[in-house]
Amino acid sequence: MSELLVQMDNVSKSYGPVDALGGVNLKVYRGEVVGLLGDNGAGKSTLIKVLSGAVKATGGTISIKGKTVEMNSTTDAIDHGIETIYQDSALVTQLSIARNLFLGREPIKGSKFLGRLDEDKMAAVASELLKEVGISKDIPPTTPISALSGGERQAVAIARAMHFESDLIILDEPTNNLGVAETQGVLQFVRNAKASGHSCIFIAHNIHHVFQVVDRIVVMRRGAIVADDIDPKTTTVEAVERIITGMDS
Amino acid sequence: MGKLSKLLSVRPEVGPAILLVLLIVVFTSINPKFLSILNISNTLAFTVELGLIALAMTLLMTSGEFDLSVGSLFGLTPVIMWALFNGTDIPLELAFLCAIAIAVFIGLVNGWFVTYLKIPSFLVTLGMLLVARGTALYITDGFPQRTWNASGEWLSGFLVGDIQIGALRLYMSLFWFILVAVLLHYTLQKTKMGNWIQASGGNADAARARGVRVDATKIKLFVLSSALAGFAGVISSIRTSAANPNSGTGYELEVIAMVVIGGTALMGGRGTIVGTVIGIFILRLMRNGIVMIGVPGLAYNIFIGAIILGMMALHSWLDRRNQSRG
Ligand SMILES: Nc1ncnc2c1ncn2[C@@H]1O[C@H](COP(=O)(O)OP(=O)(O)OP(=O)(O)O)[C@@H](O)[C@H]1O
Ligand SMILES: [Mg+2]
Repeated sequence: MSELLVQMDNVSKSYGPVDALGGVNLKVYRGEVVGLLGDNGAGKSTLIKVLSGAVKATGGTISIKGKTVEMNSTTDAIDHGIETIYQDSALVTQLSIARNLFLGREPIKGSKFLGRLDEDKMAAVASELLKEVGISKDIPPTTPISALSGGERQAVAIARAMHFESDLIILDEPTNNLGVAETQGVLQFVRNAKASGHSCIFIAHNIHHVFQVVDRIVVMRRGAIVADDIDPKTTTVEAVERIITGMDS
Repeated sequence: MGKLSKLLSVRPEVGPAILLVLLIVVFTSINPKFLSILNISNTLAFTVELGLIALAMTLLMTSGEFDLSVGSLFGLTPVIMWALFNGTDIPLELAFLCAIAIAVFIGLVNGWFVTYLKIPSFLVTLGMLLVARGTALYITDGFPQRTWNASGEWLSGFLVGDIQIGALRLYMSLFWFILVAVLLHYTLQKTKMGNWIQASGGNADAARARGVRVDATKIKLFVLSSALAGFAGVISSIRTSAANPNSGTGYELEVIAMVVIGGTALMGGRGTIVGTVIGIFILRLMRNGIVMIGVPGLAYNIFIGAIILGMMALHSWLDRRNQSRG
């Protein structure tokens, strides 16, 4: 087995009286694509929010490459190599593709004090990355995000995660509201990310999408992980559906 | 039409630029004196004082906040400076620095309330508007401070001295305006700081998630806004030979109108200094031109209001067109 990247131990999260997560254990290895399934309110988003620093766990520990870490903010998570991609919220729609890619990590030309953006470098890297994630159309990197389709926006977010050498890319329902072609595009980006050595956690309600890209399926029910080693190559969609709804027992 | 709308949405200053040219053509054809040298130099003198505030407001509004206390700071800062200079024996330079430092402090307080206590900037700066105006009235008992004894001081020449070029009289304040406009344009469009300003106004959560220091960025802009409003007030007090505790009343709305007419989004995320400079001229030319072509000055606000509504309608139409493509 390859290197253990992320390990969550007995992680819990409660919102007041609601226990959204009740002591969850999860491991993700390098280069692995994990599908996270579960019904509405099962706790999938809460789990990845804890992992991406968006909410703080009430209990438990998170280790990355064997070291226990504190996740107090999304910047902490990014610093530890964890990138999260939501449908819309991660990009500034008024800014261009290139400026979004480098937001917060802008390359500077000349004196640090003047802080002049190195726009040539940003444009060059952006064009290269757009090709890498497989955007076939010729979209100039100066295009504002507001002029992109949903799938292209996902592609930009994935490109950013790949460029900044994140080890783990988390996608929470990235295929919601996408058409057939765009969904295939996002799935292809996930394969490309895996091919270049990144791990992914992929959440989607459409089990067929999950089956197409993941190496392993984890199922959550009412804040707990009820199955964590389902191989999509040897299991049927129906069997997984039964585990999700709790009809297996 | 498709091409024009695309141009207008990529370059939000094009709409106001067309309007400005139209205004000049209309006013000049009705009264040819409109473009006379004397009229231009008179117009320029006040324009830059309000304009300095509008430049800072452009950056602040791009970051998604705005500042209603600028008119009060325009009144308060020179009052403090001249009260210190007239009432004690500290030199004018020091009085100037003290007054600007107080303006900076007020900007910090505004920024702290908005970012740390998370109170909307509308409410915070409305409160500060009253505090600053009240302070100016209280320390002067409502009377103007004399400033004519400034004539011998190098600082007053440095800030507002005038240069006569033929019949055209230019004030130093025009130079300050151009300098600040160029610096802020560069900052907003070309630098990391500018990228952070736009991102803070466009999607603060996404920006924060990437490590952009949204709160620090906004606090800096509140400070810039207060400091430039105070600086503009000092310039005005020397030019008009009086520091009146009531001066600048109502400027906040005129300044916001200049910025919005220029194409900066009221909700943040998009802003342009070029547009604001055009917006400044549109409002000043309107005020001046309406009188020169014989429309009663009291009708001025009708036209300004109509232009603001028209510009907002244009930009919201452009935004909706863009969204539907997404
Ligand atoms: N901010 C919050 N405050 C209170 N309760 C919350 C909050 N966020 C989530 N919950 C609760 O925690 C539980 C898990 O929610 P979560 O969003 O993790 O589910 P999910 O598996 O992502 O569901 P979905 O598939 O619908 O996105 C739910 O019962 C939900 O109501
Ligand atoms: Mg969810």
